[in-house]
Amino acid sequence: MSGWGKYVVAALLVAVVTHLVIVFATPNVLMNIAQQRLGNGRYNAWRLGERVTQNSRAIVRPSPDFAYSACPYDLGNGPVRIHVTPWRDYWSLSLYANNSDNYFVLDDREAQNGADILLVRAGTALPDHETATIVQSPSQRGIALIRRLAPTPDSYAAAAQVSRGDVCTTAR
Amino acid sequence: MLRRILAWIAALAVGLLLGSASAWAALTVGVSGFSSHYGAWSLNRAAGSTAADPYTRAIIARYGLLALSSREALYFNLDRDERGQPLSESCVYDLSGRDLATRWWSITLYASDSYLVRNDDHAASIDSSHVGAGDDGLWHARVSSVQGNTVNWLSSRTARRGFSLTLRVYNPQRDFTPSEDSLPRLTTVSCAGAL
Repeated sequence: MSGWGKYVVAALLVAVVTHLVIVFATPNVLMNIAQQRLGNGRYNAWRLGERVTQNSRAIVRPSPDFAYSACPYDLGNGPVRIHVTPWRDYWSLSLYANNSDNYFVLDDREAQNGADILLVRAGTALPDHETATIVQSPSQRGIALIRRLAPTPDSYAAAAQVSRGDVCTTAR
Repeated sequence: MLRRILAWIAALAVGLLLGSASAWAALTVGVSGFSSHYGAWSLNRAAGSTAADPYTRAIIARYGLLALSSREALYFNLDRDERGQPLSESCVYDLSGRDLATRWWSITLYASDSYLVRNDDHAASIDSSHVGAGDDGLWHARVSSVQGNTVNWLSSRTARRGFSLTLRVYNPQRDFTPSEDSLPRLTTVSCAGAL
């Protein structure tokens, strides 16, 4: 190849690689940012978000109708145990992999008495004699998110009270 | 020699620029390509799905990170009026609809940056538990910068131009079928400065 041809080919190759890297990396980068913002740098612990207001900037398009509790999890030290305390109105538990996939969801219709989950890394040995529901995470890190319908300040305060019974911790 | 080095640096820079610009375009302009349209509303059924392709996943991560799967909730967005114009703070809109075949729904107004509008009107959202149908069988809400005499109000004050509405449909029933007729309708009432 001679003349300007090799430079054009090189530019096109760099463009394709750059394009793919950005597209593939965007969910992981944004999820890492979300984990830091929602967990304030901590993993395997619930953190109740402040009531969504006009000043909320943790995640895009937040709903002001919900009390959100987030637990960025890390399975590096083994499985994580999750308990969700039931709520009088709609609630759901969602689990997101590090690439932003919502791989598990449970709501109050399916779990009227709350939820007990043992979160394990996909591909690892499953524990015996486990009473909790075992869920396999496709990635080592991710985010567990509880939504409790609480559209008023009073209902948010009640949901905040209930959220104190939630558990997200490394299993012993 | 120096000319060659400069040429390689230029090729690298052009490649980075092209790659970044095309990725940005794919994730920005491509939003509509992954959506189903029902009148002015658009729906992305891939939100939160594990089957989402890399482009859809990146778009969702950018515009709806931590969205629920379509089994749990459906997210509809509206950012144009009935004439195809971007929604504007200087206009007054009527939003009306019938009850939806779902457990609960809400409509929230977002500024062009996808966050709640920075005003202290506490009128960013309406939901099915607080809006009731009138004599015409429809519920009505007002989208405007001032409340006026309406009860169901979505405040667009300080939203300027380019804001949007998100309709969240939680636990849709099996017979829930989105359509232009079944989803809420936005109608422009007036615009400041319009003849």
